[in-house]
Amino acid sequence: MSVKGHPQGPLPSPPPIASVTGEGTDSRLHHEVQGRAESIPSPAQRGRAREGAFATLAALFVLLLLATPALAQRNPFAVGANEGAAAAGNSLVAWILAQQSHFYRALTGAAREAKSGMTGFWLLAGLSFAYGVFHAAGPGHGKAVMASYMIANERALKRGLVLTFLAAVLQGVVAIAIVGVAALVFNATSARMTQAAQAIELASYAAVAGLGLYLVWTKGGALMRALRARAPAPIFATAGAPASGRFVCDSVEPGHMHTADCGHFHAPDPATLGDDFSWSAALATVVAAGARPCSGAILVLVFTLAQGAFLAGVGAVAAMSLGTAVTTGALAAIAVLAKGLALRLAGGAEGHGVLIARSAEFLAALVVLAVGVALLGGAWSAGGLA
Amino acid sequence: MSFCKCLIATAAATLAFLAAAPAVAHPHVWVAARATVLFDKDGQIAGLRHVWTFDEMYSAFATQGLGKDGKPPTREELQPLARTNIESLAEFDYFSFAREAGKKLAFHEPSDYWLDADEKKVVSLHFTVLLKEPVAAKKPFSFQVYDPTYFVAFGFEKSDPVALKDAPAGCSASVMEPAPLLAAESQRLSQAASENFSPGGDLSARLAPRVVVACP
Repeated sequence: MSVKGHPQGPLPSPPPIASVTGEGTDSRLHHEVQGRAESIPSPAQRGRAREGAFATLAALFVLLLLATPALAQRNPFAVGANEGAAAAGNSLVAWILAQQSHFYRALTGAAREAKSGMTGFWLLAGLSFAYGVFHAAGPGHGKAVMASYMIANERALKRGLVLTFLAAVLQGVVAIAIVGVAALVFNATSARMTQAAQAIELASYAAVAGLGLYLVWTKGGALMRALRARAPAPIFATAGAPASGRFVCDSVEPGHMHTADCGHFHAPDPATLGDDFSWSAALATVVAAGARPCSGAILVLVFTLAQGAFLAGVGAVAAMSLGTAVTTGALAAIAVLAKGLALRLAGGAEGHGVLIARSAEFLAALVVLAVGVALLGGAWSAGGLA
Repeated sequence: MSFCKCLIATAAATLAFLAAAPAVAHPHVWVAARATVLFDKDGQIAGLRHVWTFDEMYSAFATQGLGKDGKPPTREELQPLARTNIESLAEFDYFSFAREAGKKLAFHEPSDYWLDADEKKVVSLHFTVLLKEPVAAKKPFSFQVYDPTYFVAFGFEKSDPVALKDAPAGCSASVMEPAPLLAAESQRLSQAASENFSPGGDLSARLAPRVVVACP
């Protein structure tokens, strides 16, 4: 508890490019370049599409920055892990605070009633679900990591939704495990529970930084490959069939023929572009985004335990996780869809799609790394390592 | 391109909605505060004595694992948590922000502090912060109690929120509710929120009630 302010660590330099080898994307990239040479859209068309692509990407990064938590000191009354403090907004704040106060009182009341019957329990579950939906809309590193991962890696919407769901479930499970084991089994004090939560929190920060390093390494390599592929390459020559005015694209499909005024673009398919999906990176993301327990869940669990209705608290936390999954799932969907949109716009114009996609992925990887380093630095200066 | 424009507009609207969401403060702990303004024998304001009563959920958290046979924990049992709370509060200026004629005033570290729990296990934190230099109450003296990070939502108790101890005759204290934000301020703050800058103490201060102490 000593240093104020927002610690920032220096970013490690990107990995050496030479060590990253191509993995079968080169021919497609080459194909890409050829497509660009063939298609000649009007300058106005190109400009509009590029503007659109950049606007979408810019919006994505605004979103990422918004999802990044304001790093604050550990609050004197911290419950378990360190929650990102909210930056307050506008004149609605007072009203919203009043509503939250009412909501909190209703939640407390429902938790007290939960043991007396199913009606009380369903009220508690419903309120907890709403708590999950709205609480997840606040800042938090989990969302920043998840959205960055989606931009850096994920193209398949369904898989992205599964990952966000798993992260939300993990968050609930961790809270239940902490309170269940520490309070129910060992009758530990709040100080002990807070220590347990902080240890897990630190591990999740390390996971964020590790994931960031991994993504920067792989995405940096992919970006450099895309950059190199844009330089004119000798195999690009139309040596195939110059006499007929047709040539064979240097493609994975040998029979793929084009006329000289090749009528279609080679927009990268967002569903398959560089789909180097790795389960270990995906699981690391789930852990990085979901391991840190939520204060609200811990409070509900401890309170219901004190009322002698711990199982009702477990049900409430499950509902809370479901609510969180709704919000973070929507965020992940926006990230995946917006990236696809940017790729379509950019690719449609002149085949810049690969480069723009690789740049976006690399930037997103940098965001994950920066968030991880900043979180670790913050935990360090807040005495989390002591 | 109109289809794309439509998509972009939809995405932008969704982003705007999400951008507004982080602006919403989300406290996890509620405190009902009572304050006593302490005067020294020269009639100067010496410091503040706080009693902060926590909500039921935080109280359950604070008393977890303490107290024997279902009884509320004793002051001694709660003392380690009280020490942690007070030590951590130093970094946050004890959530106590006092001014004399517009000038910020500094507090010493609290010397006496404790937590107690009532028969319903509702927990209160008691502590006294003394001003580094006592101030004459002739000039306008005021203070606020708030958490700049909004993790804790402070509100004054409805009845007897502020008391004066050993005050000269004619002194009074009143709680001023915050004035509505000016349009320009709202705009500046919305902007700060949308860029995710912490609006800092000045916004929190604008939204917190202010206790004004006046002596003849």
